Amino acid sequence: MIWEVFRQEKAGGYHAHCGNVHAPDREMARQFAAIQHGRRKPTNSLWVVPREEIGEIGADEVAFGGTTDKIYRWATAYNTTAGDASEVVESEDEQATAERRRGDDR
Amino acid sequence: MSFEDPDDLEEREREALETLLKRLGDDEFVLAERYTEWQVRAPTLESDLALANVAQDELGHARLWYDVLGDLDFEERDLVYERDPGDFRHSTLVELPFPEGDWADAVLRSYLYDSAEELRFDALVDSSHPKIADRVEKIRQEETYHLEHARNWLERLAAGEDGRQRLQDALDRLFPHALTLFEPADEETEAAVVDLGLRDATLEELGEAWLSTVVPSLESLDLEVPVETRTDEEDALVVTAATLPEERGRDGTHTDAWVDLHDELTHTYRELEREAPTKLMGDRE
Repeated sequence: MIWEVFRQEKAGGYHAHCGNVHAPDREMARQFAAIQHGRRKPTNSLWVVPREEIGEIGADEVAFGGTTDKIYRWATAYNTTAGDASEVVESEDEQATAERRRGDDR
Repeated sequence: MSFEDPDDLEEREREALETLLKRLGDDEFVLAERYTEWQVRAPTLESDLALANVAQDELGHARLWYDVLGDLDFEERDLVYERDPGDFRHSTLVELPFPEGDWADAVLRSYLYDSAEELRFDALVDSSHPKIADRVEKIRQEETYHLEHARNWLERLAAGEDGRQRLQDALDRLFPHALTLFEPADEETEAAVVDLGLRDATLEELGEAWLSTVVPSLESLDLEVPVETRTDEEDALVVTAATLPEERGRDGTHTDAWVDLHDELTHTYRELEREAPTKLMGDRE
């Protein structure tokens, strides 16, 4: 039986999927997960979930969002001439900073 | 009387300390050597990693004890590679080879050993030797996980007829050797260990406490413990029949399996004429 393992690094954070373990039951799954996924990286908590208990819906079944190009929403997508309104300058700075933070400018 | 200053010990204190530390360190070292044989051969990837983890812990513990022996002018290189196999003081339980592919043996051996280890550490946590008390505190947490791991497997193997039979065969083979965990190196030195406050329970007391734990627990899994036991006047479980193996480990007598294993584990060292054992990390303090 396969158990998917989710690790939470710090209290309050999300449990992120980090791999899986083979185990006959929940107790063994918890132990194996602790050995394989809790010993090398900072860990506050682990979830073990039977794989068949996880519901999945895929891209072949539904049209997911997030694919339409919405670059027009960003001020940096427009060419501007010198002497912009101060609101535009501030907005550009703001967007550029956000992109740098996300690593999108690379 | 104090163990604060290693240069200030009387002969009797040195001897008691050396004996205790060799019992501790050699048990861990040799057991880890044996566990390592399961590497890439355990029944599943998960069990392989789990036992590898246990082996790694035990090697680390051995190093902690050998390091305290350093206070008595023993060097790790000598302890591990240059020592005569007859100078090792581990119980014969940890030196026996695993019958090929017999996972039940590994599980049961770990259960018998780690149950004893838990009791032994309970009796060492208030040791008069500050380094011992300090190290036990650190080691205990890992040992709790070892015991939990062994118990988990034990219960699951015993639940099926085939697994239960394999456990029974392993129990018949291992139990007499497990009794040597509580055998003395020599009576006088062992008495001194308790007398000097290095450990606050005698081997006899530890053995009784161990029997009172493992025998009912094994019987509850429908396993038959291959020695006759009785309850003494203080309600402690004691072994009546003399079932100890000829080789007791603690007194330096060992099975042929140990000589072979020792030869194997020192082989590369001898062949390469190494100057010192390899260290991946500095000593933990």
